[in-house]
Amino acid sequence: MELSETIAVKRPSRWDEPMDPQMTPADVTWLRSREPFSSLQADAFPRSMPLEGILQNDCRLHRVEPGEIIVREGDYGNSAFLVLSGAIKVLVESLPPEQLGRSERHQASWGEALWSYLRRSPVPESRDPHQVTLANESGESQIRAVDDRQAFFLQDFDAVLSRSESVELGPGELFGEVAAMYRSPRNATVLAATEASLLEIRWQGLKVLRRDEAFAEKLDAHYRANWLAIHLREIPLFRFVPESNLSRVVAKTEMRSHGRMEWNADYKKSRKLAPAEQIASEPIVSDEGRYPTDLIVVRTGFGRMCQAYGAAQRTSAYLGKNHLFGLEEVVHNAVLDTGEPPMKLQNTLRAVGFLDTLHIPVEVFAEEILPFVRRSELPSSAAQKIVRSSASDQDERRAPKRTDTERTSMETAKRGLNAKADIQTGTGTQYDQTDMLEFLVQNRLTNGRQAMVIDLNRCVRCDDCVKACAATHDGNPRFVRTGIQHANLQFTQACMHCTDPVCMIGCPTGAISRDQESGVVSVHEPICVGCSVCANSCPYSNIRMAEVSDRSGKPFTDSTSGKPIMKATKCDMCHQSPTGPACMNACPHDALVRIDLNESAPLSAWLEQRS
Amino acid sequence: MLSKMPFRKRRILMASLTVIAIAAVWTASWMMESRLSNPALLSGSVVLGSVVFLILLGVRRRLPMIPLGSMSTWTQIHLYTGVFAIAAYAIHVPALVVGGYFEVTLAVLFIVVSASGMYGLYASRTLPRVMTAVEGEPRFDQIHWHRQQLSHTAMTLLQSLDDDASVTVLGNYYGQQLARFFGTGPSFSYMMIPTGRQRRRLLAGLKELHRYLEDDGKQVAGQYAALVRKRDDLDFHYAIQFRLRAWLVVHCVFSIVLLIGGSIHGLLAWRFAG
Repeated sequence: MELSETIAVKRPSRWDEPMDPQMTPADVTWLRSREPFSSLQADAFPRSMPLEGILQNDCRLHRVEPGEIIVREGDYGNSAFLVLSGAIKVLVESLPPEQLGRSERHQASWGEALWSYLRRSPVPESRDPHQVTLANESGESQIRAVDDRQAFFLQDFDAVLSRSESVELGPGELFGEVAAMYRSPRNATVLAATEASLLEIRWQGLKVLRRDEAFAEKLDAHYRANWLAIHLREIPLFRFVPESNLSRVVAKTEMRSHGRMEWNADYKKSRKLAPAEQIASEPIVSDEGRYPTDLIVVRTGFGRMCQAYGAAQRTSAYLGKNHLFGLEEVVHNAVLDTGEPPMKLQNTLRAVGFLDTLHIPVEVFAEEILPFVRRSELPSSAAQKIVRSSASDQDERRAPKRTDTERTSMETAKRGLNAKADIQTGTGTQYDQTDMLEFLVQNRLTNGRQAMVIDLNRCVRCDDCVKACAATHDGNPRFVRTGIQHANLQFTQACMHCTDPVCMIGCPTGAISRDQESGVVSVHEPICVGCSVCANSCPYSNIRMAEVSDRSGKPFTDSTSGKPIMKATKCDMCHQSPTGPACMNACPHDALVRIDLNESAPLSAWLEQRS
Repeated sequence: MLSKMPFRKRRILMASLTVIAIAAVWTASWMMESRLSNPALLSGSVVLGSVVFLILLGVRRRLPMIPLGSMSTWTQIHLYTGVFAIAAYAIHVPALVVGGYFEVTLAVLFIVVSASGMYGLYASRTLPRVMTAVEGEPRFDQIHWHRQQLSHTAMTLLQSLDDDASVTVLGNYYGQQLARFFGTGPSFSYMMIPTGRQRRRLLAGLKELHRYLEDDGKQVAGQYAALVRKRDDLDFHYAIQFRLRAWLVVHCVFSIVLLIGGSIHGLLAWRFAG
């Protein structure tokens, strides 16, 4: 091809979309004069990503007013905050939901459910005034504009601060970095005690800032000291490991991140790629055919296990939180017979979207963890090998282990795990049909905890599910009976209440939140400002923005701009209805189910039931 | 509990319970008859009670917000109660259609309701598979809109032609065959028995035109063929979905008439039972 036939375009670059276009070089200079940036080594950063560039493009300056809620417990976020001036408070105790503008979950009685059905509005998306905006007793709204953004204020916050225990953070202190770096829910509510200036740093910036050794050490030390042990303890296979061993594992474990946290932005493009191309585009975490050096534990995100097959890669399983990669190989190599060659990795692990992993060195695993793992919970080939090896050795090491096991059984019980029962080791989720596995991973349906699946071979297309949904939501259905299809299964466009709820990231008022008990993600309409951030973030297009009106059909409008009031609407699993999900209960032919696709067992069992 | 059970096990359980219930009614009737009392009163009450219970499914369907059990459980019980009601009816009546205008009407109503119910069971178990096998998942209420879109596309496709020969050949075919196909709904006979006859005829006609067309014209003819296939698939979905709705309307309407008639019959029988 002639060079003249090419089309010259500007190559997209890392900072094409700065976090805040208002950041000026003067702001950057000012930040560089303050801690911790003044002590960061500029030469630790590559020329393509200088420190100044990070401060200008990956950061945003905020002014917060007293009583303003900065982050809420349980929310998801992709940025950390550095206090530049003023004081902020981290609440040790949880605030009741209503103080955060979220109505408490109220289970309607039969009578209430019937009454609301009988008096349902003839107007679509109608609301009572109290459902549209939240005002305190003096009639003042708890949502106010601070500079150019909407913010939520805690009512009577002095009283709240005096009543509840809190920790004050001052200039130079960082918070929210664990949630930002490891995509986990915020573990405390933080609010401004005085007028304060904050620097919000998005996770991409944080990652690059870690190139400065001192900064990275500070972050890692904090994570290692406060969170890593908790995360390791959550792994069911490690439930009998004594605390002393676990603390040694903590010291040796490495944390790594792979892929892009904004996977939802790429999803719409990547799902259209051919499977081979999609797999090839996913970052490799560990490659097939290499000798394992670590046992890899998935902390958050999703991984695809695949094997070379013909000229391409074939998906063999997908991994989610707490799943282990390389267990069989690591255990096999830990109990090698003399002269026997070590086992190479049988699969490649790739990051689907983003993947956070913990890497436990093989020798640490063999020494500190393996003796406390039940043989019956290991992959069968590895377990057989251990049994053979211990029988031939007449190993006496098991005696002290038993006492350790007894000691840890109390701990295990405390963690809610049954010490006596075997658990299924999480080494990946598999299906009998490879094509189903490929389909679920390709379309990121593995993210769904309450995915709506319709068996089209039994569905008579009566739309009773949609009608029931509408009957439960004042005449407004919260899903459409359409969606992507694999064989006779339709994965319908209804909120899946995802494991990684990207819709919750960026909500300015915390209106979209996850219920800690049920895991249901719902919108608290009175504090929803209609900004569409959640609807735009949802990779599956399962959130819809609706203009709201009163019961007579008069639209609500903003008193200052005159623009219509919009609210985000989505499936809420009928969490206020006494029936549970109306769609599932209304299906006369057992064609529809709400199902967890994180694991294969529920879907396999459902398919088995009808076979 | 029923909705969690494997389907095969559920079928065996429900069928066994139904057989036991039928046997119980038959035994009770036989015993009453051998004691020279009136077994028709018992079997008639059982039939009427069953019809009342069967109709409650419609009530449950309209109140999805009340926790009365899942619709699938109700449907299962409805199906087997229906079978039981047919058996109880057979025990109740001396002949399939008895004498007397009112009784004949009632008998015909019962037969229509039972037959439509049986057909519904058959249709709801077989037709979904047929629909799944055909391309697309159009919603019934949107099929008309889809048809209009296809008709519009077909019309604009003709306007996109530059070549005079193609305009003449395809224009003629469009005017004589395709305009009517895209512009009107499916025929009554197609709605009753959807076949691929018309689709095959139109596709063969378009293929036949290829020898009169240049490359551009052939491409447009190919696009028409795709539209014909799409429209036929849409009509097929419409016919099947219509059938799945129509039987239900027939079944429900006749069920209500049967309930009213049956209640009158029951009142009269009770009044004159002596």
